[in-house]
Amino acid sequence: MNIQDYIESGKLELFLLGELTEREREEVLTLAKEYPEIQRELDTLEETLFSFDQASGPAPSAQVKDKILASLEPEFRKAEGPKTLSTPTEAKTVKISPWKNFAVAASIVAVIASAAAVYFAGKFYDTEEKFTALLQDQQVMADNLNQVKLEFEETDSRLDRLVSGDFKRVQMIGETLPMQKDAKVDVFWDQKAQEVFVAVNTLNSLSADFDYQLWAIGKDGPVGIGLVNPGEKFTLQQMEAVAEAGAFAITIEPKGGSKAPTLEKLVVLGETA
Amino acid sequence: MQEDELIAGLRTRDRKTTEYLYEKYSRALFAVISRIIADSDIAEEVFHDAFIKIIKKIDSYEESKGRLYTWMANICRNSAIDKLRSKEISQSSKTNTIDDFVYGLESQSGTMEQIEGIGVKELMNNLNEDQRFIIEYIYFKGYTHSEVSEEFDIPLGTVKSRVRAALQVLKKNLDRI
Repeated sequence: MNIQDYIESGKLELFLLGELTEREREEVLTLAKEYPEIQRELDTLEETLFSFDQASGPAPSAQVKDKILASLEPEFRKAEGPKTLSTPTEAKTVKISPWKNFAVAASIVAVIASAAAVYFAGKFYDTEEKFTALLQDQQVMADNLNQVKLEFEETDSRLDRLVSGDFKRVQMIGETLPMQKDAKVDVFWDQKAQEVFVAVNTLNSLSADFDYQLWAIGKDGPVGIGLVNPGEKFTLQQMEAVAEAGAFAITIEPKGGSKAPTLEKLVVLGETA
Repeated sequence: MQEDELIAGLRTRDRKTTEYLYEKYSRALFAVISRIIADSDIAEEVFHDAFIKIIKKIDSYEESKGRLYTWMANICRNSAIDKLRSKEISQSSKTNTIDDFVYGLESQSGTMEQIEGIGVKELMNNLNEDQRFIIEYIYFKGYTHSEVSEEFDIPLGTVKSRVRAALQVLKKNLDRI
């Protein structure tokens, strides 16, 4: 067989164009294996066809490449999936990460909600406490108001009596006595109504064991008509009724007062006439 | 990359190897198709499908039965011919000629072709009338050698030898570049 004739026949070109029958292809392949010249010619022709193709057309657009690679993505994934270690983790991460994000977001929301709940619960208890405190304050103020009202009414009625009555002012001073030189107390006495009030101007405070006692000194001797509170200055302290008195006096007596005055402890004295 | 490495990489569906294959052969393979199919959108569609087919069928490729490029070029050529003969493309498209193709190329990317220093036109100018005719029908119109033989009453042997002669001229011109 003439190799050169075989090469020249054009069969190899048709082989490359895929236009030979299966039997003819087998023949070309067998001969190419047997004769290196035929194989070389095939290689050269293929190079020529490749160069011709390469030189004779425009490149496909970039979009086609993207589309092709996208279409082949499942093939790559399938191959990369079980083989490599890094890619599955990567793929996993891609799948799981949105879930993770949601979990993180949910956790953050939960924490914020809890914090808000605690905060508002705290606020609620604070407010309730304040409200209770306010209620208590209000109660105290109401009580105070009542007391003030009572005191006012009392004072008012006393003032009424003082103004409407026929009161005589009896000044009692301690100037001439050894106990308290600067002591000064006034007695207001309505002889007709037999009412007596005391107003403290200056009077030292006493220890808890003693009290000041007011005496009305009449024909029958001194009569205790009440205890005087040294702290209540410039207010009227009502005493017991007195119809007859030449003088008023205050002594220091043991707590609760005495039946007869302790004259050594005479603090102030004032005559009615 | 050696051809056996390339094939091995393609068989494991290696992404990098596939991209390498694309970079190296896409232009030539697309030319095989776009020579036959004038409409560039349809040509790209055919090329897309053919390239996918190449990757998916790489397992059935046998090295002993021919080189890789020949196998791939035939898949592309057959895909283009199938498309050409399908109802999707009207008969008028079949009147693609070298001149139409060259004109199309120049109007699309004429300057690019000039920069690259080679054009189909120059290559074709070196062919004689008979060779040019054969190349036009086989490479640009998707005819098989027996179809050319039957349709134009040219003996099969003559078709074969003209194909060979044309390729020899093309080879010489390509070598010169």
